[in-house]
Amino acid sequence: MRNQLMFQIPGKGLTVWRLYGLFNTLVVAILMGVAGFLTVFFEWPSFIYYIAIAVVIIVGLTSIWLFPKIRWNHWRYEVREHEIEIQSGLFIVKRTLIPMVRVQHVDTTQGPILKKYDLSNISISTAATTHIIPMLETNDADSLRSRISILARVAEDDV
Amino acid sequence: MFERRYKLHPVSAVVDFVKGLKELILPFLILFFANGFSFNLGDGAFWASTIPLGIFILVILVHLITGILKWWTYVYWFEENELRVEYGLFVKKKRYIPFDRIQSFNYKEGIFHRIFGLVQVMVETAGSTNGKPEVILTAITKEAANQIELVTRKRKEQKKENELQEENIVSEEKVSENQTESLSTRVIHKLNTRDLIILATTSSSMGVVIAGVAAVLSQFAEFIPFEWIFEEVSSIIKFGFVLVALAVFVTFLFTWIVAVVITFINYFNFTVIEENDRLTITRGLLEKKKVTIPLNRIQAIKIVENPLRQIFGFAAVVVESASGGFGGEEKKITLLPLIKRKHLYDPLQELFPQFEWQQSLIRPPKKAQPFFYRIDFIWLLPIIALCSYFWFPYGLLSVLIIVPVLLLGLWQYKTTGYAISGNQLTFCYRIFSRVTFIVEKKRIQALECRQTFFQKRKAITSVQLTVMSGLTGAKAKAPNLENRAAEEIMSWFEKTSS
Repeated sequence: MRNQLMFQIPGKGLTVWRLYGLFNTLVVAILMGVAGFLTVFFEWPSFIYYIAIAVVIIVGLTSIWLFPKIRWNHWRYEVREHEIEIQSGLFIVKRTLIPMVRVQHVDTTQGPILKKYDLSNISISTAATTHIIPMLETNDADSLRSRISILARVAEDDV
Repeated sequence: MFERRYKLHPVSAVVDFVKGLKELILPFLILFFANGFSFNLGDGAFWASTIPLGIFILVILVHLITGILKWWTYVYWFEENELRVEYGLFVKKKRYIPFDRIQSFNYKEGIFHRIFGLVQVMVETAGSTNGKPEVILTAITKEAANQIELVTRKRKEQKKENELQEENIVSEEKVSENQTESLSTRVIHKLNTRDLIILATTSSSMGVVIAGVAAVLSQFAEFIPFEWIFEEVSSIIKFGFVLVALAVFVTFLFTWIVAVVITFINYFNFTVIEENDRLTITRGLLEKKKVTIPLNRIQAIKIVENPLRQIFGFAAVVVESASGGFGGEEKKITLLPLIKRKHLYDPLQELFPQFEWQQSLIRPPKKAQPFFYRIDFIWLLPIIALCSYFWFPYGLLSVLIIVPVLLLGLWQYKTTGYAISGNQLTFCYRIFSRVTFIVEKKRIQALECRQTFFQKRKAITSVQLTVMSGLTGAKAKAPNLENRAAEEIMSWFEKTSS
């Protein structure tokens, strides 16, 4: 295999992912709560309870603990002079190579949660695709963005 | 300097109106069926039932008025090397396009257009990747269309000439050059009637037609006396299978005729012409369409062979182009809808001399074979389990689905491969149809390697590339290659900037 990419996502990113997972679980828990309420109300068979509880537990375990961990472990990126390489994925590990000359523009975005943790997402757009490097320290993200835009300013090929 | 302003032909109001009506047909039908034809006169609910009808008449009137208004206010003219368009009564819309930015003009002639000798012009620019042409002139006379193209070309050439004169090149030379350029028009491919019939017979639209017929039938299912039919059928079966076979045969014949008619309407007189580094494709029986693609806008070439065509040695060639063709519905432009695989390479070689067409592919390793069908078991197993559970004795037969899925997987394995030569990458893969995807390095936007946990254990990687085409881009995949192969492709792509 090719050598491992250099940079990882900061540890805070993992925390934010876990937070997202928590919200996810809460939504599922509310839905299951409604299902449980309906079960009582209409006197449906009681195994629905157990299914609802099991679903909440499974969703909680996976989306708070397991998935963020795997995803965080897989996430790697590297911005070199001529190309950007990103590795991502949960079950399927994807490794994407984007030549600098294809980059059309770079954005950084930040939602309220990311702002609290002082993190930003970078999205890199080519003529056909958009690639995201998530959960970077805002300073790093800003400097990376300007670096990519400088590197991408090299001679443009016609598209 | 005030340039002359041109208006559209009045028929454009009608065309816009009819287009608006077409969009209304579906909601109208839904409402109509939902109402269940219950316009019982004399009932107290009469006025209530006319409300939807009234709304529809209102909407139709609005469409008519907007159509007329659009025509009334629409003007276009040429000024300062720009094509300028203005329309709108309350909200004025203005659009100015520099001639340099215009990539191509596409033409479309509907039935209304043909009666009055008109044409619809769509102006394509590099920016119009969202599927919509930058400017649509709904209906103008053919002379006016020619004039637009002439003016554009003249201004462009003037500009070029000015640049050339600065470099002290005599303009006479330029003129003679122009003459040779206009002579370089040549017909690349033309479909004759026999081709059209084969195209219809082998096209996958046969399936679409069958589905369409089924959908229409299911719409009217309530009105068909099924019980009566079943009784009839069972008595027919008593008469023997000959009648049933005949019925099936007639259905197929009918479907085939519909497919042929559709193909004739769409592809009649299909001609590809190369002219000054541009491809012009003309086609259509009732509605004539003419697309122009500059050769340098072509991103990738796909040779598609559906299973039926592959057996008879036919193929189709599709072009992924950066500009949008006829808006959303046709991002991909079919260059050669049907051609013998043997004769395929000559015209392609002429058009795209930078490519090598016949290459020996590097295949995925033997150990990759299970990966082509194993993934399908994920959705197959629950289906089989459910079928077996609910329709107990006969449901078990659903196990047999595995056989075609397995065979398809094996076929996909046999098809898959890749080849690298110079700046060219060739991917060969199959979903149902075999696709040979040929692309130059400088057209690839991004390359992606994908590996699941199981693939990692066996050192196998799938590779996927994206080129620009329409809004989302077009993807090509070479699944389950050896790790080394994936690495080779990656490092080949890395050298891009050197």
